[in-house]
Order: sequence, then structure tokens, then C-alpha cells
Amino acid sequence: MSVSSGKVIKVSNLVKSYGSIKAVDQISFEVAQGEVFGMLGPNGAGKTTTVEIVEGLRTADSGSATVLGIDVAKDTRAVKERIGIQPQSPALFPSLTVRETVRFFRSLYRKSLPTSRIVELASLEASRDVLFKNLSGGQQQRLSVALAFVNDPEIIFLDEPTTGLDPQARRAMWDVIETFRRAGKTVVLTTHYMEEAQRLCDRIAIMDYGKIIALDSPQRLIEFNIKESAIQFKMKDYPGDQVLAGLPDVSKVVREEDDIIVYTNNIPSAISGLLGMASQRSTDLSELSVRQATLEDVFLKLTGKRIRD
Amino acid sequence: MRAFGAVFISYYRQFVRDRGALFFTFIFPIMFILLFGWAFRNEGVQRFDIGLVDQGSPQSTTIITFTLDNVTLDSGDKLFRLESGPFDDMMRLLEDGSLDAIIVIPASMDNSLAQEQPTAIQIYYDPTRISNQQILVPILNQVVNGLNQYLQGTTPLITLDEETVQSRELRYIDYLVPGVLGMSLMFSGIYGGLPIIQQRQAHIIKRLGATPLRRSMLIFGDLAFRMILVLLTAALIILVGSLVFDVQMVGSWLGLCGMVILGSLVFTSLGYLLAAFVKTEEAAIPIINVVTMPMMFLSGTFFEITSMPSFIEPVIKILPLTYLNDALRQIMVDGTPVHSMTTDVAVLAAWAVVCLGITIRFFRWD
Repeated sequence: MSVSSGKVIKVSNLVKSYGSIKAVDQISFEVAQGEVFGMLGPNGAGKTTTVEIVEGLRTADSGSATVLGIDVAKDTRAVKERIGIQPQSPALFPSLTVRETVRFFRSLYRKSLPTSRIVELASLEASRDVLFKNLSGGQQQRLSVALAFVNDPEIIFLDEPTTGLDPQARRAMWDVIETFRRAGKTVVLTTHYMEEAQRLCDRIAIMDYGKIIALDSPQRLIEFNIKESAIQFKMKDYPGDQVLAGLPDVSKVVREEDDIIVYTNNIPSAISGLLGMASQRSTDLSELSVRQATLEDVFLKLTGKRIRD
Repeated sequence: MRAFGAVFISYYRQFVRDRGALFFTFIFPIMFILLFGWAFRNEGVQRFDIGLVDQGSPQSTTIITFTLDNVTLDSGDKLFRLESGPFDDMMRLLEDGSLDAIIVIPASMDNSLAQEQPTAIQIYYDPTRISNQQILVPILNQVVNGLNQYLQGTTPLITLDEETVQSRELRYIDYLVPGVLGMSLMFSGIYGGLPIIQQRQAHIIKRLGATPLRRSMLIFGDLAFRMILVLLTAALIILVGSLVFDVQMVGSWLGLCGMVILGSLVFTSLGYLLAAFVKTEEAAIPIINVVTMPMMFLSGTFFEITSMPSFIEPVIKILPLTYLNDALRQIMVDGTPVHSMTTDVAVLAAWAVVCLGITIRFFRWD
């Protein structure tokens, strides 16, 4: 069970089709031990299917996935014994209390952390004897994430771990993930929150239509894809992408509903061009802002979509 | 084994915290027994089933039939329901409790009456039934007296010879208790498919799929818990029947436990079959109602189904509850050993095998 060259996950040429739709289309990637690996993509991009194949919850049509040196398709249970999984929605027995739920999960594994440790991880000490169905949405979510740690796993898979949490609980969850990583363990994370991805992930795979269209560290993704700054505004009587793209120093125009985003290497020149165009057409630019490009811009540029539920 | 224990305990906890399930498992069948038991506790005093055996005196038979047929209660209902046939047939009906008494009209009676010679007609009944001794025999005596007077003269031409036959005492409650037991096995088994549908619908099964738990453990844990539950239900139903209505459990307890488990398996596999085809709780509940409600009545849970339109009869003959109720009654009331109830056991086993087979073919965990 040697893990060659520190890679704890190896995926090669994974394919999964549902009818005529290729949910996962020839995907390959590797994750190193101790890495926080992010997966980003619009809904239906194939993130969850990919992750579920790696976790052993689904079987691929072709290709292979190896976790901790074990072929997932061959010895699923051995893999499950050593990984932790938090699925997207917190689905647990409604009529069991927090502690009963933790004990139930502990008894499914050969080794496990103490019940009190998991309850603490979920910050549910005060609600440990409350039935799951009587917990708030955020509390349910926290318990669901904490349960992914119950078997002291070597790799943890978190699917939208902070969705539905308030900012404070979200930050607490980030701390949990960072502590886990500092212990030399590996995290595979899918998220909708760019800030979360940018802050936590060592590397990010951006997926669309079943393929990985970019894979790198957040910083390099931004640098490689968008060298420009972004000017964002709203405008009445939009004249069309071509008019804006024809302005001096405008390198790209992207629209996202009401928002118009113009990328440029020369901010003053682009802004004066935009203002001139606006006054010529007797219209206003509202909510104008200038900012550095973010992961969100990369995502928008690569997929043409904003990441959102 | 640890995982099995965990699944078992979690099912137990969820069950005891589910008031609806508790009610339907324990209170509901007891309610039926108490309600129907009290409502029909006097059933049998109201009316008597009499078998007439004519050994060759058509005239006398006509007179006696006419007389008995015209005895009415205050309510205007007839007191006697008459049936006639050969002695052996009537005797069998008397012995299994379908008749309350048999009146035998001797071949010589027509002649004797014509010659105004006394004749005895014989009556067979079960003396251990209080209603027979206290009500039936005196009434029959009165009827005979009336007949004698009608046939003129003060010397009685007809006398009543009492012959007693030991038959089991089948009261309505004796019929009811095994039926309610069968019914509750049906409900708990078919409703047993519901948690699987709910857990699948709520993605709980998928969540458990992320752990090393074998999915078959979910089924084994569920089955083990269900078997203990149905045995408890059976014990409770029999206890209440015995304490409140003095219902006797005549047969072997081991045989009864076996039949309870077989019956529960049949209906649990029906529940699983439902879970194999129905994806949501909202869709499952109406289907459960459509299946269980008619089956409850058609299979003779509360009343013997004797006169049904002919197109219904094949349905009754195929319903598993018909056979389970019959088997439970045979064990509890007649003390019939399980190994002599080949048809019941075969039909029930066939149902379980077919349902499980289809379930295994079509069931999906996600």
C-alpha cells in the first residue's frame, strides 16, 4: 500500500455517462498528501460525480481512481475505512440525538475519535442530546461535516462544507480544515465560495461540461488567465459587446446579467473611453468599480458563468 | 457485528420516538380487539343456527321447520337460522361450531303422529355453552309444547331427547383475536418499507454509503428489529385477549411464533417490494392504503367472508392475509399443528419468495 511520490489520489481518464450526457469526460488529476485540493465548477459540471467516483460511491464507466494506493473500484470498503466524506446535504437519522448519531457512525469504523471530540468539532456541546431534526440548518451542517472526521481519516472529502453557515461558523469551519491540513492530511473540497477556495486551496481544478478546463494554484490561475484589472459597472441601453470592445485599451468584455465587466491593462485610458462613450450616448455608468482580478473573474472567463446556486 | 448492533439500536430508538409507529403497532390492534370484542360480546345469544336432519318424515319436518322458522325475537328478527342435510354433515358443522344444535326427526314420526303415538325427536347440542343450556333448550321445549298443543290433545305426542356433543366454544372474540394479529402483522410489515423509502429520499442511505457499513446490514438490522417487534405485538394482543375476554391460545406457542415470523416476513417483503418501485413517501402512503385496507376486510380479519360476489372470490383466494389469518386461527383456536397446514404455509412462503425475488431484481439503493 505504498503511496508513490506522495500522491494520495490518482485519477486517470475517468469517464461516466448518463444516457447521452457525459457527466465526467476523460478526467485525470493527482492530489499530493497534505494538499487542500479544490474543485470549482457550475452546477452540472461533473464535480460531484467525479468526487463520488473517487470516494467509491459511484463506479466509473472507464478509467481508474486510486486512493492511498488502493484501487477504489476493487476495494471500496478499505478506502472508505480511511477517508472521511461529507456529502452536500446533511442527511442523518432525524430521530437520533447528536451524541447517538456520532456513536452510530463511530461503530461503523475500526478506529474512531472519541464522541466528545466530534461533538466539540461540530461546536454542539450544548445540543449534544438534541434530536437531529430539532437542530437548526447550520447545526445540522456542522454535525454532518464533523462526522466526516469520525474515523480520523487520512483524506477528507468536503462537498460544500460551509453552505448555509453564518460567517462566524464558516470561519470556524475553515479553522477546522486548516488544523486538519497542518496535521499532514489531505482535503478535497468542492465549494461555491470563491473566497473560501482562494483562501484554503493549494490547487484548484475548474470543471465545466465534464472536463477539467484549468488546474493550478489560485494565484497562478489568476495570473495566467487574467493579467488585466477589472472595471465593473451597470449601464442602461447597453450598446453591445462590440462597441465596448472597440474602445481603446479594452481587452475583453464579459456580461453577467446586469453587470458589465471590462478587462484592461490601462485603467485611466479604459475609463476615459467608457465615460466618453457613455456621454456620447447620453447614458450613465452606475455602480462603477475598479478592482484586481479574482478567482471569480477567472471562473467567469473560462466558463462564461458566474458560480452560483 | 458492531455495525449490526448499531443499526439495530438506531432502528429501535427511532421506533420508540415515533408516536405514529408506536400507536399503529401497539394501540391500534388493541383498540380493535376491545371495540369489536365489547360490541359483539353478546353475539350468539341473539340467534341460533339449527341443523335439521330429516330421516324420512317429510310432513313432520315441514311442520317443525315452519314452527321454528316463525319464532321471532322482540326485534322481529328470526331466532333460528335453519339448515338441513344428512346427519353426518350436520354433525360436522355442530362439532366445528357452525351450528348450535341439531334436531333429528326420526323416520317413524309421520306414522306415529298419524296414529297419535308419542314420538321422540332428538336434539344434539354442546352443553358447555351456557347459552345452549339456558336459552336454546328451554326455547326448543316451548316450541315442542306449542306443537303438541297444536297437534291437539293434552298428551304430548312429541318429546325432546337431549343429546350432548362436546364442541369447542367459538365465540366472536375467539375469531377476532387471531384476525387482529394477522392484520397487525400486515400493517407493520407493509409499513416497514416506508423507512427505507424515507431514508433513501432523504439521502441518508447515500450518506451511510460513504462509510464502510455494508448495505445488507441495514436490511438485517431492520429485519431483526421487526421480528422482535412482531413477537412483542403478538404477545400483547394475546395477553389482552386472554385477560379481558378470556381468549384461549390452544395450539403450540412455538408454532404460533413460527407463523407470526413467517407472516411478518411475507408482509415485510411486500413492504420492500414497494420500496423497490416507489421513490417517495408521498407516493407510497396512498399505495399502502389501497393495498392494506381492502385486504384487511377481504381476508376475514373481522368477519368471515362467506357471501362475496363471485368475481371477488379469486382475489380473496390469492391474498396472503387470507392464509395467514386462517393459519393463525387454526393454531390459536383449534390447536392445529403447523405441519398440517400445508396450503397456508405454501402460499405464504410463495408470496415471500416471489416478493423478495422481484425486490432483489429491481431494488435500488439510490
